[in-house]
Amino acid sequence: VRPVSDAHRSAAAELFAASPDGSFGDLETTYEAVRTFQILGVEKDKGLIGKACKFAAEKLASSSSSPAKDLFHAARISGVLKCSVDSGVYDDVATRLKAVIKDTNSLLELYYSVGGLLSIKEQGHNVVLPDADNTFHAIKALSQSDGRWRYDTNSAESSTFAAGIALEALSAVISLADSEVDSSMIAVVKNDIVKLFDTIKSYDDGTFYFDEKHVDAAEYKGPITTSASVVRGVTSFAAVASGKLNIPGEKILGLAKFFLGIGLPGSAKDCFNQIESLSFLENNRVFVPLVLSLPSKVFSLTSKDQLKVEVTTVFGSAAPPLRVNLVQVLGSDSKVITTETKELQFDLDNNVHYLDIAPLKIDVGKYSLVFEISLQEQEHETIYATGGTNTEAIFVTGLIKVDKAEIGISDNDAGTVESVQKIDLQKDTSVSLSANHLQKLRLSFQLSTPLGKTFKPHQVFLKLKHDESKVEHLFVVPGSARQFKIVLDFLGLVEKFYYLSGRYDLELAVGDAAMENSFLRALGHIELDLPEAPEKAPKPPAQAVDPFSKFGPKKEISHIFRSPEKRPPKELSFAFTGLTLLPIVGFLIGLMRLGVNLKNFPSLPAPAAFASLFHAGIGAVLLLYVLFWIKLDLFTTLKYLSFLGVFLVFVGHRALSYLSSTSAKQKTA
Amino acid sequence: ADEGGPRGRRVLVLVDDLAVRSSHSAFFASLQGRGFDLDFRLADDPKLSLHRYGQYLYDGLVLFAPSTPRFGGSVDQNSILEFIDAGHDMILAADSSASDLIRGIATECGVDFDEDPEAMVIDHINYAATDAEGDHTLIAGDDLIQSDVILGSKKIEAPVLFRGIGHAVNPSNSLVLKVLSASPSAYSANPKSKLASPPSLTGSAISLVSVMQARNNARVLISGSLDLFSNRFLKSGVQKAGSKIRHEKAGNEQFVTETSKWVFHERGHLKAVNVKHNKVGETNEPGMYRINDDLEYSVEIYEWSGTSWKPYVADDVQVQFYMMSPYVLKTLSTDKKGVFSTSFKVPDVYGVFQFKVEYQRLGYTGLSLSKQIPVRPYRHNEYERFITSAYPYYAASFSTMGAFFIFSFVYLYHK
Repeated sequence: VRPVSDAHRSAAAELFAASPDGSFGDLETTYEAVRTFQILGVEKDKGLIGKACKFAAEKLASSSSSPAKDLFHAARISGVLKCSVDSGVYDDVATRLKAVIKDTNSLLELYYSVGGLLSIKEQGHNVVLPDADNTFHAIKALSQSDGRWRYDTNSAESSTFAAGIALEALSAVISLADSEVDSSMIAVVKNDIVKLFDTIKSYDDGTFYFDEKHVDAAEYKGPITTSASVVRGVTSFAAVASGKLNIPGEKILGLAKFFLGIGLPGSAKDCFNQIESLSFLENNRVFVPLVLSLPSKVFSLTSKDQLKVEVTTVFGSAAPPLRVNLVQVLGSDSKVITTETKELQFDLDNNVHYLDIAPLKIDVGKYSLVFEISLQEQEHETIYATGGTNTEAIFVTGLIKVDKAEIGISDNDAGTVESVQKIDLQKDTSVSLSANHLQKLRLSFQLSTPLGKTFKPHQVFLKLKHDESKVEHLFVVPGSARQFKIVLDFLGLVEKFYYLSGRYDLELAVGDAAMENSFLRALGHIELDLPEAPEKAPKPPAQAVDPFSKFGPKKEISHIFRSPEKRPPKELSFAFTGLTLLPIVGFLIGLMRLGVNLKNFPSLPAPAAFASLFHAGIGAVLLLYVLFWIKLDLFTTLKYLSFLGVFLVFVGHRALSYLSSTSAKQKTA
Repeated sequence: ADEGGPRGRRVLVLVDDLAVRSSHSAFFASLQGRGFDLDFRLADDPKLSLHRYGQYLYDGLVLFAPSTPRFGGSVDQNSILEFIDAGHDMILAADSSASDLIRGIATECGVDFDEDPEAMVIDHINYAATDAEGDHTLIAGDDLIQSDVILGSKKIEAPVLFRGIGHAVNPSNSLVLKVLSASPSAYSANPKSKLASPPSLTGSAISLVSVMQARNNARVLISGSLDLFSNRFLKSGVQKAGSKIRHEKAGNEQFVTETSKWVFHERGHLKAVNVKHNKVGETNEPGMYRINDDLEYSVEIYEWSGTSWKPYVADDVQVQFYMMSPYVLKTLSTDKKGVFSTSFKVPDVYGVFQFKVEYQRLGYTGLSLSKQIPVRPYRHNEYERFITSAYPYYAASFSTMGAFFIFSFVYLYHK
């Protein structure tokens, strides 16, 4: 835990960022923002303040129609920002709030109205609650026997959050009362508070917090809000009630630790609750918590760091004069290193207690330091809570000396060590070795701490990585005393190595939390010659592949079309066409030579007509063949052919029978 | 799915301690700021239920309950897995207190956490130097996956703080990706006890944060560290040991915002519409192509940006013309307005083909489009009619026909 720092200021500024129009949201958020900024001392520009004041003033002006809650927040905003509000307006508001107090039996309504009145009073306006005792009783009537409060008379559930609200309201009633409130009633409430603190919860590191007994996710406010409510209530009550509250200092300190333990809050609400609670704890009448913190928990022997301890209030202001003693140093396994009490020196300028580590003679490692705080002045004991002893875990780090590093190959029948090389582990080296399965790899080196003691780092790994398959083998290098030595007998490892011969890269990793020079060194490589894998040898496991290789685009595929059949050149075709036409030319010449005549053509009109039609028919059929070639398909061709065929048979028969009858006549004649 | 987005905005947040709600509020606020409707529940809430009347009540799940031994109500490991199988997304964060239940869910998602319950990731070289911690379990991780779609286009400059347990992903599982890997010097072991045997997870094989995208595009992010999402890590500065550069703010905020955008489908979700194909020079889609036709194919692809569908720009979308195996595989060119198109010649093989777009890219949802189309051979009258090399045959037959015609006169009427 560290006190509130500048980091909180920037976190608060970020969480309560004003919207572009300059407002923080509703009244409650606005109040939380301005209140947090007030506590942390964060400056906001005038424009924002003016906006917020105006926003509050508007609510206050319409007091008769606004609920008590709005008036409460608005009055408090005006209080924090010191806005100027007419006393007439506040008179109206006070009247309205007093009326609410009379009518209601709800705890929240009472809290808002009493709180609003108190805020108005604190701003210098004269407000008196006439029937304070009645109001006090009305609130007290809602308390339960275990120190919790109910929200109103009708609800059965009691709540820790409500208890905080009620205590704050009660303290406001006491402040507003025109006469002393019945002291016996105050004693009863004090007793309630003690009971309430019996229900506090804790972590084992001395952190205390309040939480609701019944966790209902809908109504549930969370430990931060609940604890903040109780802290607000108890500290306000302690401030106005006479006498001291009987609450142990460690619980107050534990609550402070709880709020500091949140660190940087994540939401605006948490931030407000954390900061406001801490501001109440910073200055309260029960106990002011003083927290012991270490600015750093890691100490380097190399840079001779000083052990520094700060004891401050939760906001980091200086504590009263006190002594810090280191009473015990425990090793990592709770072994007591020293119990000699050493007082820490106080540096007034920086407000830190410090101690040189060197005289403690502690080596690198992890330690628990037990500090004891004692206040120098007796009367402070009742004001401040220091928690007595505090245990803090620290790490002491240093440079570890690495030397006598050797690497080499030896034959299996021991003794004969060949090719031992000295290597420097301060930097990457690249030895190149080769071995077969009958040989061994030896690696040895020494480690020692700055104080010359033995040192066993947490991580001492030798890694062999097969170059080709990327299979890795990891060995822990065992150490005894200062010497770390590993002997890899490859005969026993062939199966583990999956019979994979080839180049293996060697890497040595030595690291520890206390070692400032932890390293991962490439040592070089070893060429291994292992026997062939028998059939049943296990296969090496699959290695991770680059995810991108699984996703890239595929290679384009284009279809290979069937190539068209080879054709002779056109000229050749035309030449052969000419050749095929030669016979008809010959045929025609032959006919000419024979002296063809058509004397036998019928001379009578009817036979001549039939003969002409017969030849026209043949011509038509031949023409049809030409058309069939040029454009017609088979079916149309056959259709035409069938008509032509019938026609041809008819005229053919006529023409030919006439020809045969004339030729028969000629023969007989 | 409002405004046409691929995912709804109802997210169930399961925590094992309601304090997580405030300790991780910055992360939740970033989700809420992006319009998600978060429902916080304790993991052992007896009224817990993921669905009602057969309808899922949520679109996403944030499981920030590492130590919970069993869920309340009707929820158990199987119902979480069914939720993912139904195409919903999940962010799961574990830490060193991870229960068997959480480990079991992670295992089902392809991620194996170190079985040693005491183990944490330790790195004595790449740790974050802080004043408060000295055991080197606070890792400053900077080995991030090179993927703009998962991590956003803005480079994450500062290291990402991580404290928790490591896990391994099965190399044969192509659905799981390591988003944040450990450095070569890291190892997973119990920092409090001496090591006797080599740790099972070492070096860059350790994954700190992994993502899984299932085949149904459900996305899961698994982190071995719940603190990674915490306000403390989001707001804290970071200085890597041995480095002089101090970053005012760790990379966590950017990392969790960007990865959660990815998980909840605000990025990297593609949709394809208007798949069209036609013959070159025509606009109507034919019912059938003939071999050797020239065709044009186009598809519009858009990416969801969280608020609207934006044209997707890439140069690696490919279409296949497929029958048993791809006959044509061609990369589509884009006009940068979402339209991807190409043209090619139908192969001279007839049968029933498919236009297939199988687009699987790292981090993007997969697109799998297919459209069936038959391809027919030439009809009998679609072949070439006047072949020059056949002219001698034509000439021969027509000259024979001519001679026959003349011969018929000579034969019949010659005297």
